[in-house]
Amino acid sequence: MDRRDFLKLAALTGAGLAVPDGINRFAGMVAASEKVDLVVAHGASPSAITKAAIDAFGGISRFISRGDIVVVKPNMAWDRVPEQAANTNPEVVATVVRLCYEAGAKKVKVFDRPVNDPRRAYVQSGIQAAAATLGAEVSHIDERRFRDIRINGVAIKEWPLYTEILEADKIINIPIAKHHSLAKLTMSMKNWMGVMGGSRNMIHQRLDESLVDLSRFLKPALTVLDAVRVLTANGPQGGSSSDVKRLDTVIVGVDQVAVDSFGATLFGMKGSDLGYVRLGEKTGLGIMDLSRLNIRKIST
Amino acid sequence: MQNFRRITQGIFLLVFLFLFIKTESVGNDELGYPVKIFLDFDPLILMTTLLSAHNVEKAFYLSISLIVLTLVLGRVFCGWICPLGTLNNIVGPLRKRNYISGASDRHRWKYYILIFLLVSSMFTLQLVGFIDPISLIIRSFSISLYPLFNHSIRSFFDAIYSLNVPGVVEVSESVYSLIKKSILSFRQPVFNQAAFIGGLFFLILGLNLVEKRFWCRYLCPLGALLGILSRFSLLKRSVSEGCNSCGACAVVCQGSAAPDKKEDWKDTECYYCWNCDDVCPRNAVSFGFKEKKARASMDLGRRRVAVSALTGLITVPLLKTAPLSRQDFSNPRLIRPPGSVDEKEFLKRCVKCGECMKVCITNGLQPTLLEAGIEGVWSPVLIPRIGYCEYRCTLCGQVCPTGAIKRLDLKDKTEVKLGLAMIDKGRCLPFAHATPCIVCEEVCPTPKKAIWFEDASVADRTGRVKKVKQPHVDLALCIGCGICEAKCPVLGRPAIYVSSVGESRSKTNRLLLP
Repeated sequence: MDRRDFLKLAALTGAGLAVPDGINRFAGMVAASEKVDLVVAHGASPSAITKAAIDAFGGISRFISRGDIVVVKPNMAWDRVPEQAANTNPEVVATVVRLCYEAGAKKVKVFDRPVNDPRRAYVQSGIQAAAATLGAEVSHIDERRFRDIRINGVAIKEWPLYTEILEADKIINIPIAKHHSLAKLTMSMKNWMGVMGGSRNMIHQRLDESLVDLSRFLKPALTVLDAVRVLTANGPQGGSSSDVKRLDTVIVGVDQVAVDSFGATLFGMKGSDLGYVRLGEKTGLGIMDLSRLNIRKIST
Repeated sequence: MQNFRRITQGIFLLVFLFLFIKTESVGNDELGYPVKIFLDFDPLILMTTLLSAHNVEKAFYLSISLIVLTLVLGRVFCGWICPLGTLNNIVGPLRKRNYISGASDRHRWKYYILIFLLVSSMFTLQLVGFIDPISLIIRSFSISLYPLFNHSIRSFFDAIYSLNVPGVVEVSESVYSLIKKSILSFRQPVFNQAAFIGGLFFLILGLNLVEKRFWCRYLCPLGALLGILSRFSLLKRSVSEGCNSCGACAVVCQGSAAPDKKEDWKDTECYYCWNCDDVCPRNAVSFGFKEKKARASMDLGRRRVAVSALTGLITVPLLKTAPLSRQDFSNPRLIRPPGSVDEKEFLKRCVKCGECMKVCITNGLQPTLLEAGIEGVWSPVLIPRIGYCEYRCTLCGQVCPTGAIKRLDLKDKTEVKLGLAMIDKGRCLPFAHATPCIVCEEVCPTPKKAIWFEDASVADRTGRVKKVKQPHVDLALCIGCGICEAKCPVLGRPAIYVSSVGESRSKTNRLLLP
């Protein structure tokens, strides 16, 4: 029984009314935070909207417990600067790192397996500096730490995955929303390519299935989709400022399919335009239909 | 004096090694250290480049200070500064006793080599890089010794890591991460000819077994140049009446200066190491500015000098009559680093020091074998399958001492074409195998992508029609960086590859109407 089922059950049986006071209050708290499936925050400051979105989603302590080892997984795959919108916004990443530590996380780790040179991707994205000053452990991928993992997916049966993400207590996925010629858009589900070892380029042969396989296996505690700046063409690395659109938006959710489905609307598309979102809904990974979701929009 | 000299040598060697290790990106646009400064102070490269290219990078004028230093103090560079000299010094004790070469004239070899180099460079052939000691040591370290060092350390710690003994791994890993941060490279460097170039270097060190500092005494052309300048130096040596010809100085002499010959001491061969002064039991040796000029002549022999010069002269047409020298002939595999000048000019400048290969962020710059002809051996070539040219990186141009690779700012760099990519439809998945793949387009770094798609419907074996995107290269936008080739999932022979045709630096190796 997941949280959603619990709520339905609670509503049906009126259990909330029947239980004693203390538990009632607990249920009420859960219900208050559960009401929301996605928070969409809009505002000029990337760090303020990130914090506001997470707060409106029930606060970081709903997801991070004292003593947790947290992996915060941004997209920093490219040798590009923040203005080019190819990597996750460094302020968004830094804010999540800060909130994790405030919630008592023991250690926050930040890494990605870039496509371009890792040193340049880490530095030029601005993420290394922003996260490290807040005490995050920003490390480069250590090839020895990949292990062949059976994930028994549809397209991917077994693949070398980065053990540091598998060993973490909690994972927070912080992708950026961008154009991509095959996936059309890349958001949270495609961000898992950054923890794949080996010749991950092969998964483009069955991209949608592969992304759903990975997303089902990795199960982040929270997803924060950065749409402060989005890349509307020539993705996933762009380069021209004319392809960058400033949306000043951050989307927070747990359901990866829902996050990506909402993300599509930022580009004038629908979730159903994206193969991996459709497949994600079909296979029960999450909800694509936005009308079935409780989306809370806030401005700061 | 001996200790003072050793400390000085140690300091210069450490500075050299420090700058060598710093010849590596940490992710910023610039390195922040004057990593090529030992080359800037090399007057031999200054002279041969002026002779061959009639023009030299401004930084090389720093080397005039070494000329001045030698005119005052003699060949102190060899004895006190040169990192290769110091390494020869360190391995010198391999040979127990020095062999006293009374009548040997091997020390003249280096002058013949110098004459050969100067004459050939006068006629456009720049061969100095093969044997210039600074080029040689940086190249050997970059291509061979540092990769070897990295490999040894990495294998050692990887072995402990894979043993996975609790308690030990934690300690070894923290030591390892410290070493990684300080003296190891970011990734294990790999180079073509690593064994060969390293072997030559070990051979040079091994020659100390034949005689201490064999290289410095007999082969080094920079030593020869400084030796000639030493003739005119102000600091000279004298031996007082107290000398009883015990010969102790002859044993400790690092050069072939014949210190026991008193007035016939050879100033051109002296490194001013002060060993003879230190060792003299009667304290009869002294160095000073008021001493008499040495009498011994260089005695190179007119015929031999003429033969060396003639050899230098003849080598020019000998090497220049390969097909590659023809204006309309280019090697498609010779992809030069971004900012490289036209091939003819490139060969006149490049000294094969390997700085660009050391700094190349993807390890894609490799030493040539014969791709650029014999005169171009060990010059840099980009091999995209090993590493592509990173779009926003300008480091090779920053470290090139000679201007063979021009220093480019970021905007110019992103517009320079190294060549052009072309697609092999017989291997490309969407063309040949009805299988989706977009990797070359995904990684293409130009702001408007140089790879575009044609939506195509292709039937597979069962007749089922599949929609795929078939890539095409926009030759006007492609810069030949080779990332498509590097990342192409068709391993082995990739389905997209770069060749040098269309490179900006050439007026002839062109494809499109300008």
